[in-house]
Amino acid sequence: MQNHKTICERIMRLAGRIRAEAIITSVNSSLTRFADNVISQNVSNASTEISVRVLENGRVTRFSLNQPSESALKTAFAAALAALRTQKKDPRLMPLPEPGPSIESTKLYFHGTAAMPPKDRAARVAAVIKKCRKAGAVAYGAYETGSTAVTVANSLGVRAFHKESSAVYSVTVRDKDGFGWAEAPAFDAGEIDFDRLDRTAMEKARLSRAPRSIKPGPYTVILEPAAAADLLFYLGFYGFGAQFYQEGQSFVSGKLGRKVMSPEITLEDDALGGLSAGMPFDYEGLPRQKVTLIESGVARAVAHDRKTAARAGTRTTGHALPPPNTYGPVPINLSLAKGSVSLKEMIRNTERGILVTNFHYTNLLKPLTVEITGMTRNGTFMIKNGRIAYPVRNMRFTESAVEAFNRIEAVGDKQEAFIQWGRVAAPALKIRGFNFSSSTEF
Amino acid sequence: MFSFAKKAVEIAEKNKAAFGDIRIIETRRQTLSVKNGEIGALNDSVTLGFGVRILFAGAWGFASSDIMTSREAERVTKLALCIAKAGSSLKERAVRLAPEPAYQDFWQTPFITDPFSVPQEKKLDLLFAVEKVLRKDHKVRSSVANMTFIREHQWHMTTEGSRIEQVLLSSGAGCLATAVDKGSIQNRSYPSSHGGQTLSMGYELIENLRLLENAERVREEAVALLTAPACPGGNKDLIIYGNQLAMQIHESVGHASELDRVLGYEESFAGSSFATTEKLGKFRYGSPLVNLMADATLPGGLATAGYDDDAVKAQRWHIVKDGILSGYMTNREFAGRIGRDRSWGSCRADGYGNIPITRICNLSLMPGGIPYEDLIRDTKDGIIMENNKSWSIDQKRLNFQFGCEAGWLVRNGKKTTLVKNPTYQGITPQFWNSCDAIADEDSWRLWSVTNCGKGQPGQTAMMSHASSPARFRKVKIGVKA
Repeated sequence: MQNHKTICERIMRLAGRIRAEAIITSVNSSLTRFADNVISQNVSNASTEISVRVLENGRVTRFSLNQPSESALKTAFAAALAALRTQKKDPRLMPLPEPGPSIESTKLYFHGTAAMPPKDRAARVAAVIKKCRKAGAVAYGAYETGSTAVTVANSLGVRAFHKESSAVYSVTVRDKDGFGWAEAPAFDAGEIDFDRLDRTAMEKARLSRAPRSIKPGPYTVILEPAAAADLLFYLGFYGFGAQFYQEGQSFVSGKLGRKVMSPEITLEDDALGGLSAGMPFDYEGLPRQKVTLIESGVARAVAHDRKTAARAGTRTTGHALPPPNTYGPVPINLSLAKGSVSLKEMIRNTERGILVTNFHYTNLLKPLTVEITGMTRNGTFMIKNGRIAYPVRNMRFTESAVEAFNRIEAVGDKQEAFIQWGRVAAPALKIRGFNFSSSTEF
Repeated sequence: MFSFAKKAVEIAEKNKAAFGDIRIIETRRQTLSVKNGEIGALNDSVTLGFGVRILFAGAWGFASSDIMTSREAERVTKLALCIAKAGSSLKERAVRLAPEPAYQDFWQTPFITDPFSVPQEKKLDLLFAVEKVLRKDHKVRSSVANMTFIREHQWHMTTEGSRIEQVLLSSGAGCLATAVDKGSIQNRSYPSSHGGQTLSMGYELIENLRLLENAERVREEAVALLTAPACPGGNKDLIIYGNQLAMQIHESVGHASELDRVLGYEESFAGSSFATTEKLGKFRYGSPLVNLMADATLPGGLATAGYDDDAVKAQRWHIVKDGILSGYMTNREFAGRIGRDRSWGSCRADGYGNIPITRICNLSLMPGGIPYEDLIRDTKDGIIMENNKSWSIDQKRLNFQFGCEAGWLVRNGKKTTLVKNPTYQGITPQFWNSCDAIADEDSWRLWSVTNCGKGQPGQTAMMSHASSPARFRKVKIGVKA
């Protein structure tokens, strides 16, 4: 991993009197992928990206590169300054943020995970393949380990550094025509319960053999945490970014302080702790704040960066994203508060409904109602009289997440974390009248 | 660069690797956008790095780095070897590569004007002018005009003796108006959604797109969509146009024909495919009118190059011929599984930091024989849909749903009412078998996909899909939540 401090000093020295803001991101990632009960892909990648924003007299430009040498940076600066001086002034250009206390965040970094050798990942993969071969099943999946370091610094003295390790184990099992899946991310690979994940995927695959066709239409659904997290990502992204809010593109535009969802729903963006934790500052180097987006069904706030905050006459919540982007700030560490009902109880309390393990290829149809379509995947089951009755063929849903979250019947008592675009911590959800619009052939 | 590359190849040979290669890649990318009267993005990026692939004891290892020293080349090559050894303990069959001659060659994208030589000021002036026109109605709450230029300089060296240098260039631009009023949001883009049109060309593409001349229409249509009636439901004849047909080809044929996916190697992530290998040469994928041609030599195509990242020379082949499944997207590793002694050459990697994987090549629906105007004239009760807004397809590439920016009803051979939120659903083979007319070559043009995601770790690739508007009978239209 390149030395961020040295690179930063070099950039600020080369910038001289010109204002500069640097974002340095280093990623070390190693991944062992398996399919058909063999290791199918085994890779390792190390990279550093240096992105520099240069501002002078109401003008701005950005350059990025991955070679931190003095000569490479000098060349990039020279080209950027030449480009800068041909630009028109932008009276709305904001100055760089002033510094607060420096931030150094390393508590999510575990060296053993960051530097895990390929043989350790191979041994873990060998374990699940052995179990599947013995059971006459087939394993597919990936085990990824590595680390990410981010530094944000500017000429005015902002200095923020974050380093985290990561491990993600994902296993899909095919048992004849049945499929099962389980996945868990962790900062410390030692916290992943691999055997439990293997068992879950194998059991779901066995139970989902010989699925039956059922008629699409509205059903009560129990969304396991992974499926719930998928819907939450869309709600968070399209609903609670201040730019979308200000452009009237959010379902909470003009509705802060009003009830928008079931009182069972309390949604926060929390990078500072819990299962949604992550980098404690944003891409302007400012501290992330915990933001309550929905409190007992009432819309409370949206995520701001300095630009949207200035427009709204408020303060940034520390949600600036890596530039350039056209979305503005969005919450990327979502946490849906857990309820009091276990998944088993939810099933037991359901007379007729569908249990969904996960969704596949979801996509937004209408932003104002957060209408989404997608397929069920890796274990979809009919529940009858409080029991899983039989597996069903996968179905397509077409549903407004906003309306669905107004029809919540129960919230699960345990959160699980998933990596979407950022992190989402979600419990299981029981929703009535969830719309399945068509079915497929398997 | 080849002298740097030689180090990795020598280490691979010394360690008796069955195959080894190194790709050194320098990428320059310039992104410009103007949003709501301000610069949204202005970034000039240069990256340089290398990736080493080793095939040892029947298993692959891959490692990459951006530190360009001889010592690092040695470390990375040895790491790739170590990874291959770790994987070889869990193999069921040894990886064997389909043979390919060794090449020493230079290839570059043809272009007229180098986009990096055009002053940034000129590009921004055009973007500001376009965006200003988009913003002229107060109901347009978000207006964006953008350009992207990418030049990828590759040096590829293999233990088989290939030394291939390529310079791939692409240019792209587009604009998007988002109108908002009374609980409705509508998008209209030009020339297509998801960032506009991108082709393997120089700045001449931008000049030919006529962004400014189309901006007013884009704005007016975005605003008109706010009050347009909703797309009616039911089974109707569907005429697909613009980049929507490209998305249809991409999702329901392109990904379905990737041989790694067909063989189950993507099962855990993006899914597999219904187009399994026993169907090759027999399965009726579409009506006899349907010819889908993969082509790495297509002028302007984003997947056009002299060679793929397996060092296989560019080719042109049918995926669907006269409606029958006739080929796959292949790499050298899997080509032998369908009895081929040579890969069709559709293996590519995203930059230097990723291992090459099987990718969709340029894939085009070949033109039919009827002028587009006649195709509409021949339609009694139908709908035209243009430009993709949303997409979703199941993990075997069967059940799909697409949403488009705009629809126009067709009644008794005439394009009539504009309708909003048009959507349609279908099952892939039934859908392509319902194709009963394809417009002729006068309306055949290339569309781009610049954000095709695949693999773990995730990789992005670009490709083009050419088509003329085509008609599909009795499709399920207007899906309601």
